[in-house]
This record gives sequence, structure tokens and C-alpha cells, in this order.
Amino acid sequence: MLEGQLVRLRAIEPGDLEREYVWINDLEVTRYLTARYPMSRADEERWIQSASPNSFAQGVRLAIETKEGEHIGNIDLHRMHSEDRKAGLGVMIGNKEYWGNGYGTDAITTLLRFAFYEQNLNRVWLTVFDDNDRAMACYRKCGFVEEARQRQDVYMEGRYRDVLFMGVLRRDFDALHGGPGGEPDA
Amino acid sequence: MRSTADPEVNPMLEGKTVILRALEPADLERVHTWMNDPEVRRYIAMRYPMARVDEQAWLKDRPQNSFAEGVRLAIDTKEGLHIGNLDLRELRPEDRSASLGIVIGEKEYWSNGHGTDALTTLLRFAFYEMNLHRVSLHTFEFNERGQACYRKCGFKEEGRLREHYYAEGRYWDSLVMAVLREEFDALHGLAAEVVGSSA
Repeated sequence: MLEGQLVRLRAIEPGDLEREYVWINDLEVTRYLTARYPMSRADEERWIQSASPNSFAQGVRLAIETKEGEHIGNIDLHRMHSEDRKAGLGVMIGNKEYWGNGYGTDAITTLLRFAFYEQNLNRVWLTVFDDNDRAMACYRKCGFVEEARQRQDVYMEGRYRDVLFMGVLRRDFDALHGGPGGEPDA
Repeated sequence: MRSTADPEVNPMLEGKTVILRALEPADLERVHTWMNDPEVRRYIAMRYPMARVDEQAWLKDRPQNSFAEGVRLAIDTKEGLHIGNLDLRELRPEDRSASLGIVIGEKEYWSNGHGTDALTTLLRFAFYEMNLHRVSLHTFEFNERGQACYRKCGFKEEGRLREHYYAEGRYWDSLVMAVLREEFDALHGLAAEVVGSSA
């Protein structure tokens, strides 16, 4: 497992199905993802069963657990690129009681530490809706900076919305978090 | 190097100096030559040498042009010379968006307006036949010729992805560019056409 300050990241297990099914059908959660269509329990089960083992080539999908062992969300690295040494990051805190409490920031920082210091990546990027202030504040704290604004890129709730592209480079992360030998932030 | 396109069989998209048509098996040799030309490959993120048989499989397994599968076309000059290819991919029906790629493989046709005409013709199709709302692309920071062409077609720079691409011993930024239908309308659209013809 990957240990953070508040959370640990572990592999996703079949027993996580029920929670994920609830989260992925919660409009307050999915309005920040691009999950438009309702998902059945069977869809969710297929998704969990089809997951390949975590690896560079297939990407990394992990469950976020509090130190007390409560599963509160998932996080992943996708579109891994060997030559460019980059990957895309996605995160979902499905348990809304844990929103705005630093759990997302800790989970992302923990995964970035793994991405840069174990997987030897140079860059991690993500996309976020321009009205998702809570998420953007969290991403900035982790070292991400806004790099591009894709105008009217996604249609949702009756209108086109801008999507921001954010990225963090290993050297930004080093400077922010003290490098590979640095102490995790308090 | 006359193309094998048959206007009786294949509807084509007509521009001012080029015609866009479906790719045919006979295009294989040319595409193979381009894809192994270092000067051409440099701009299209083709890292590994491509065998003729890989190219053949690519042409053969290519799905029919459609919204769901995307659009891949050959660029012919009006004289019938096949000079490059372009495509729309990652088409998203809800967002009515797509991303665009282009290669002019015949280098004598670089920087003389054929790329701009091909792109404008494809954008006209994307907006006025496929009913898209946004077309975007990524381009390497060193591709200034490409960027000038994209700007002429109406693309605006939306940002710069830092160190998004590695080649030739270093990381390079990628520029994100996009054109919205309303912007294309103002620049090249039906309205602009009417204004142009009355001038």
C-alpha cells in the first residue's frame, strides 16, 4: 500500500463494488466526472473484473482508504506514456462527508510521490471543469498549474463548459514537497 | 502518381486547390514513403519505423468513414496528385467535438496553401455536414509552419502543455489549439462566402 498522512492507497477489490455503485450513480459526485449515463451493478462489476493488474503499461487504479480503513474514493493514473514519461490522473471522493477535508489532497500527493519516485514519470496531467473550484484548489495545492483552457469542450446541463488542462512536472513537485528524501507534508 | 479515386464511386470534398477523398489500397506506397521520411515524421509523433505490412494492415482494417469511427481522407491536388492525409478522430456526439490531424507528405507542397485549403475544406465538412461544435488539435511547439496554417484556418491557441512530448533528446511543449463553429462561420462560413462573392 501507499501510505499518506491521512489516507492509504490500496488495490481495488471485488468487495468495493457496492460503494462504487452508489458513488457512480450519485449526481453530486458524477457532475464533476464525465459519467453521463446511469451504470448498473452489472456494468460496475464488469468494470472491476476487467481491471488489469496495476502496471506501467495498463495504468494504476487504487482505492483511497482513511487510516481507519474506510474506503472513501478511488484514484488512478491512465494513458501512461513510456517515451514521454507522462500520465493522466483521475480522482473521485465518493463519500461526500470527506469532501473539503484534505483527504483528496493527501491521496493525490501520495499518488504523485509514487508516480515520480517509483514510476519515474516526468509529468502528470489532468482535466477539470472550469467551475469545479473545490477540485482546482486541491490540485493547485498538490503542485498542478493551469496550462490550457479548452473552450466549450464538454456539453452538460444544457450548455457547453470550458475544461481546464492542468499539469505538474517532477521538478515542481520536488520543490513543493522536498524531493524524494523529503518529509511528507504535515 | 495519379490517384485512383473514382468520382462515380466516391463522393469527394472539394476545396479551392485540393480534393479530399477516401483512402484506397493503392495509396499504400506513398503513405509508406511519407511515414518513413524523417522530415515528415518529426511533426506527427511517429517514433518507430513502420513496415509496409503495418501500413497495409492500417489501410485494410480502417473502418468506413462515419461519425462513430471518425473520418480519414486523402488530400489530392486538383491535378490528381496525392500529397497527404488528414483525419477527424475522438468524435464525441454529446459534446459535438472532434480532434484533427494532418500530414502533407509531399514536401514540395509544404507552405503553399494546400494544407490550409485541405483543413478549411475538412472544417467546412465538420461544421456544416457533421454538425460539430468544436474541432481541436495538439501541435508541437517547434511546428511553427503548422501553427501558422492552423491560425489561418481559424484555430486559436488555448494553452501550452509543458513538456508533453519527448523527442530528439529533450522535452517539448504541446500547444492546444481549437476552432469553434461560430469562429469558423465568421471567417470562412456561409456568411463570409456571401460577402466575398458580392465584393
